[in-house]
Amino acid sequence: MVMQLSFLEIRNLSFSYNQKRMVLKHIDLSVEKGEWIAILGHNGSGKSTLAKTIVGLLRPAEGSITVDGTLLSDETAYDIRRKVGIVFQNPDNQFVGVTVKDDIAFGMENLSVPRAEMIEKIAFFAEKVGMAEYLEKEPSALSGGQKQRIAIAGILAMKTDMIIFDEATSMLDPTSRRELMDYIRELHDEGLTVLMITHDIEEALMADRLVVLKDGAVFADDTAEHLFKRPEAFREAYLELPAALKIYYELEAAGDMTPPLATTLWRFGSGK
Amino acid sequence: MKNIVIGQYAPGKGFFYRLDPRTKIITVVFLMVAVFLLESILQVSIALFVTLFLMIIGKISIGRVAKGLRPLFVLLLFTFSFQIFLNREGALLLSQPMNIGLYSLLGVLVLTVLWRLLARFKKFKGLLFLFWLAGVYALFAYLPAIGPIFKVFDFEIYESGVVTSIFVVVRLLIVISLSTVLTLTTKPTDLTQGLESLLRPLKRLGVNSDDFALIISISLRYIPTILDEANKIMLAQASRGADFNEGKLVEKVKQIVSLLIPMFIIAFKRSEDLADAMESRNFVPGKPRTRIHELSFGMTDLVTAIFTVLVFAGAIVLRVLP
Ligand SMILES: Nc1ncnc2c1ncn2[C@@H]1O[C@H](COP(=O)(O)OP(=O)(O)O)[C@@H](O)[C@H]1O
Ligand SMILES: [Mg+2]
Repeated sequence: MVMQLSFLEIRNLSFSYNQKRMVLKHIDLSVEKGEWIAILGHNGSGKSTLAKTIVGLLRPAEGSITVDGTLLSDETAYDIRRKVGIVFQNPDNQFVGVTVKDDIAFGMENLSVPRAEMIEKIAFFAEKVGMAEYLEKEPSALSGGQKQRIAIAGILAMKTDMIIFDEATSMLDPTSRRELMDYIRELHDEGLTVLMITHDIEEALMADRLVVLKDGAVFADDTAEHLFKRPEAFREAYLELPAALKIYYELEAAGDMTPPLATTLWRFGSGK
Repeated sequence: MKNIVIGQYAPGKGFFYRLDPRTKIITVVFLMVAVFLLESILQVSIALFVTLFLMIIGKISIGRVAKGLRPLFVLLLFTFSFQIFLNREGALLLSQPMNIGLYSLLGVLVLTVLWRLLARFKKFKGLLFLFWLAGVYALFAYLPAIGPIFKVFDFEIYESGVVTSIFVVVRLLIVISLSTVLTLTTKPTDLTQGLESLLRPLKRLGVNSDDFALIISISLRYIPTILDEANKIMLAQASRGADFNEGKLVEKVKQIVSLLIPMFIIAFKRSEDLADAMESRNFVPGKPRTRIHELSFGMTDLVTAIFTVLVFAGAIVLRVLP
């Protein structure tokens, strides 16, 4: 049987921290190469757990994860982490290096990349995330957004095909957040596969597809256009709609929609 | 709190900055041992001059090194007094009868209060302390024996006491200056990397110097972050009425606990996150990795090594010769 596998294939994945309560329940999910997927879910719905399971930081109780044709196991975790990286929520808690340069180098050092190649790549990827002048700076001299960009550079330098952003913008101010999202969009345009974990619906709307998690299970998996046809899905998954979309639905329910108002509100709400 | 300096490193351009950290570490260790092989005041004095001379050549501000010595002032003073009072060999240099009585003790009290009051002018701290010492000595020695007297004794200083105390202090000064030069001219990261490289042979004994160096460099990296955090928590507690500067001891302890508990909780969370971040970037403890920092042994290192060997050999010869 010849079957075309997606870049990331998650089949019937379950996970528990303590054998008592399942935190992830029978998750099925596939992500194509070059896709941008958003994972939405309330606090504690299992988003971070899912991210850590994908790169083998946690071992599933049941089910399988396949990345680029390689089945995740203790033996293959190392190879899978070369293809999938994670940018975590707290910018301070993932900055390993004493300087920006050291931090970008960290992943490559672990892969035993020769020094000359490392220096070249550090320059290239620092430039790419707009941090070329900061190479010798220490993390205490950087903003949260800059630290997140350095984290991205460090992961890209490992020749990663896919990056999982686990609420990577949630601790940033609105400007840095917008900037970071712009960088991610650029990288995506160049072919990076993006898995954007968030509980911010506006941020999720930049994705090709939305996956909604509720209590550790996939509650919905669809395009934004389809999902927003039935806003009650968000409410049922304990997610807050952006104000503009709420107004849109209210007006629509009242039957008061003039077409230009509707499109304006929709644009506001969806960021498109 | 933003630009906190880790360690004592002060950027500069002198000779010492160009040395490989490994050369510096080994040199400093060998020179220290050499200094401990010396036996006479003349020898250690020459060694002190050589040290000063090297610092001048290396364009290291002696003021900076002296600043580094300041926290050790008490240790130096203690060593000095210990030797001078307890060493009772050689010729008797000074014998001064002393009385401890009611009035001299009162005098000491007044003197101490004065000293503490003046100690606010932080600039002259050391000088003030010396004045206080001299005052106490004068009170015990020269105040006429009036009023109740509790104890009469002879204050004696012997020749060997003076010699040994000067010898020990000069030796300590050299040792501390040497290590200060090392930390002043070497970045903490280079220092740990030098150590790592030097400890590499221990790998056969099961000590992994690579991981050890990583642990130290990560600790160094997180010191400013943690201090920053302590500051934030203190501000948060202060806004709820805590005062970290005043209050009784019990209050103070309570406030410190209110600072430590959140800091510990945050530190645990942080270390978990950091472990995840490192593992997700394919860090495997004990696995060989390439390094972005490279150490290189150059001409200056060779010269320094030869100098060190000569000094060390010289110290051994001096020691062995009758
Ligand atoms: N290290 C852990 N040990 C035990 N339970 C955990 C641990 N981490 C998370 N959990 C629990 O797993 C559930 C999902 O957490 P998480 O994946 O962090 O959710 P999210 O990222 O969506 O907020 C929560 O109920 C949380 O309490
Ligand atoms: Mg989370």
